Amino acid sequence: MRRMSLLFGLLALLLAACSAQAEIATPRETPYFEYDVGDGKLPPVALRLPLHPRIIDLPSMNRETGHPGGTWKMLMGDQRDLRMMTIYSYARLVVFDDKLNFVPDILESIQIEDDKVFTLHLREGHKWSDGQPFTTEDFRYYWEDVANNATLSPSGPSPSLLVRGKPPRVEIIDATTVRYSWDEPNPAFLPALAGSQPLFIFMPAHYLKQFNAKYADTAALDKLVKKARVMNWGSLHERMSRQYRCDNPDLPTLDPWRNRTSAPAELFVFERNPYFHRVDQTGQQLPYLDRVTLSLGTTSLIPAKTASGDSTLQARYLGFEDYTFLKQNEDLNHYKVNLWENGQGSFAALMPNLNAKDPVWQRLLRDVRFRRALSLGINRHDINQALFFGLARESADTVLPQSPLFKETYAKAWSTYDPAAANKLLDEAGLDKRGSDGFRLLPDGRRADLIVETAGDVAEYVDILELVGDDWAKIGLRAFTHPAHRDVFRKRILDGDTIMSIGSGIDNGNPTSAIEPDDLAPMHESQFQWPRWGLYQESDGHEGDAVDVPEAAQLVDLYRAWRRSTNKAQRQDIWGKMLSINSDQVFSIGIINGTKQPVVISDQMRNVPVDALYAFDPSGFFGIYMPDTFWLANAPGG
Amino acid sequence: MLTYLVRRVLIMIPTLFVTSAIIFSVMALSPSDYFSNYAAEMQAQGEKVDNSRIDFMKKEYGLDKPPVERYFRWIGGFFVGDFGYSFEYQMPVSNVVGDRLYLTMLLSFTTIIFTWLVAFPIGIYSATHQYSWGDYGLTTLGLLGLAIPHFLLALLFLYFANVWFGISIGGLMDPKYFDQPMSWAKLQSILAHLWIPVIIIGTAGTGSMIRTIRANLLEELQKQYVTTARAKGLHPMRALMKYPFRMAMNFFISDIGSILPSIVSGAELVAIVLSLQTTGPLLVHALQSQDIYLAGSFLMFLATLTIVGVLISDIALAFLDPRIRLIGGTTK
Repeated sequence: MRRMSLLFGLLALLLAACSAQAEIATPRETPYFEYDVGDGKLPPVALRLPLHPRIIDLPSMNRETGHPGGTWKMLMGDQRDLRMMTIYSYARLVVFDDKLNFVPDILESIQIEDDKVFTLHLREGHKWSDGQPFTTEDFRYYWEDVANNATLSPSGPSPSLLVRGKPPRVEIIDATTVRYSWDEPNPAFLPALAGSQPLFIFMPAHYLKQFNAKYADTAALDKLVKKARVMNWGSLHERMSRQYRCDNPDLPTLDPWRNRTSAPAELFVFERNPYFHRVDQTGQQLPYLDRVTLSLGTTSLIPAKTASGDSTLQARYLGFEDYTFLKQNEDLNHYKVNLWENGQGSFAALMPNLNAKDPVWQRLLRDVRFRRALSLGINRHDINQALFFGLARESADTVLPQSPLFKETYAKAWSTYDPAAANKLLDEAGLDKRGSDGFRLLPDGRRADLIVETAGDVAEYVDILELVGDDWAKIGLRAFTHPAHRDVFRKRILDGDTIMSIGSGIDNGNPTSAIEPDDLAPMHESQFQWPRWGLYQESDGHEGDAVDVPEAAQLVDLYRAWRRSTNKAQRQDIWGKMLSINSDQVFSIGIINGTKQPVVISDQMRNVPVDALYAFDPSGFFGIYMPDTFWLANAPGG
Repeated sequence: MLTYLVRRVLIMIPTLFVTSAIIFSVMALSPSDYFSNYAAEMQAQGEKVDNSRIDFMKKEYGLDKPPVERYFRWIGGFFVGDFGYSFEYQMPVSNVVGDRLYLTMLLSFTTIIFTWLVAFPIGIYSATHQYSWGDYGLTTLGLLGLAIPHFLLALLFLYFANVWFGISIGGLMDPKYFDQPMSWAKLQSILAHLWIPVIIIGTAGTGSMIRTIRANLLEELQKQYVTTARAKGLHPMRALMKYPFRMAMNFFISDIGSILPSIVSGAELVAIVLSLQTTGPLLVHALQSQDIYLAGSFLMFLATLTIVGVLISDIALAFLDPRIRLIGGTTK
């Protein structure tokens, strides 16, 4: 007998899910499908929904109950942006609610024992968008035939599924129950499932088996491979199975809308999924909106097109600099522009490259006094006033005040303007010699000019650097901006040619302790303050360099401790330690956060929050606010 | 004539070979590739990228092979109509380009016709009425078109077309027709949008063409034979069109070589600003994202068209102007 008694906090989810089922209303047919149902092409709504659909009680969320119908028109840059639909749709096994608690969504419930054993209960009668049953076979298929197949996953299962390098035991208990268990806790499992870019541990087996050599008829598979002009069945399977990118209209999905357009196209049409598992409290199947269209075009035209009323709800490719222009056309083209807050730890942060190749610069950049001096030498207040009308927040690169982990001291650490203290620190750090023009010299006699590189994609970075340069000139340093194409930019940083770069700070500025703290430690190659250390962790020590600064090494240890943690108190403690090391060591010099993101909402669109956080993680931009509950007043069929 | 043709066609083969080698090596010189580029863009947004996944993709698409092998695989495919594989669109290059080709050709043909219709009458008029008010006025207008940057004109047109005529911004048709088959309403929508890029792209060509026609024609009009023809009482129109105009056409015929590729590639910059569904933005985007086979095959296509176009103009010139002879070799 498995020990089932000690179920920690998260098990409460199970109870919440059960109580919601009590008040189930009779499902009502969606007008969009009435014709197909009458024709017998589609079963009636009661048979399409799972036995226990997820009931969204809109009044309790202070939202209006809507009417089905209408189209959400959106403007996008290119075909890769299709993945935004997966992010916005935000249907996951487990999702974050608006208070960032884990809530079962596709799952009916989940039982968790000591963070080691996770028993997933599917909804009985839940179906893929093509009407085929969604069962634990789909989990088995992914685990046995994809994640552990050498052709499809040469490097094995995803790291979030490994605890100290060991994969879970996956047991299929019955058609709706599957269990993942590890010998040690795996706190990374739930956040990975609920992520904006989720870990898919299931795949539509009934559809994908035709592309898998283990199941498919060899001759038929060969024909498909030839027709698609790919190298082998592995590439074909990879191409047909991308659930995140959702560019294959034939791939069944569990999302509220399914793609109906094959690439290449200029307009992608997503149609409501007749088998979506959520209903509102009156029994109307969600989503309310019948269609989502993505029309692709030049990204620089998107603000202009939005202002002429071409989009129903748009935030991507709009920037703060477009705000006044968008606002001007509000009445003319019947929309509202709301300002949401950007969810990054820092909108702009300077990243001293601790892996710089130049030995003199490397020693200096690794000297905490130098980093602190640079941070103290920036007049954040002026930058906020000059570029953001004072609407942003002057802060170090740390979590936002919305986060339960926030402390005032993190935001204030070394981030108040104090040129005198900065000068003193710079002298102490060995920059006490000055050239004939009054600017500081490096210990080897070169002038200490800081060349700050950017990927050139955010216009404000150049303006910010202009102001930072003026501030730094007052402490005897000069800054120069050097924009480069993103490829070159990243390569230079990784090679150590760059001494400093500017980019956005911590990606997830609103974390809870249940979220992996990998942003705070050298864990990824894409972290510009320590790319080679990150690469070392990412490649298991095959590439890059081992961490050789004690404070950074401590961050790696703390991250590892989080991966082994067993309860909330431990995780909170670890997050606190990591945040305070980061703010004390100023590994990235945050300038400003809480900048505003314009969100253009058509006057007809309902249930879109007025004020919210705009971020990829954890909110999936719109995802956490449930676009399936957005609706259009006066929509045809509404 | 026949030997000349055969020789010209044979010379095209090494020319194209060298062109393809240059195109491929320039693209292969880039420090990164499509997949790294894609990963970088995703990471910039906060998305995580599984590096082993990227390596898997590179291997699947043959990017781990040495450049020479990739080059011959790519170029070898041309003989069987295989232009390689587009990473961005996840399909053979020919499928990607196919759809956009028709709109591009429609746009380019219309633009060329527009240019001719405007430039020829004005050119002839300003040559025959040299230094008149009409000459000054029309030439100034043509020069303005030449001088104002395309993208600036495009932005102005965008704004006013939307504000005055309510035409949706950018594109060659209203977005609602994107996925629909051709219909009368769709054609109307295309025509309503088409005139903007036609005028924008056309104005520059018009300006330079007016100048050339005027200059060439003026030179001919000064010649003795024109004076003689007029003196003998030939109708002025006939005295203009029969010889001087025909002589002045030489430059125009030799320009065909560049017209052919421009029909397919169009004006990239304007197409990007106006967000047109033509091949221009496709090419630029492919170059940016390092979708090398798409970009490379496209450039090869343009190179081929240029070479064929030059061949056509050479042949046409021989017919037009008896002074031009196709028999090569040095004469003392």
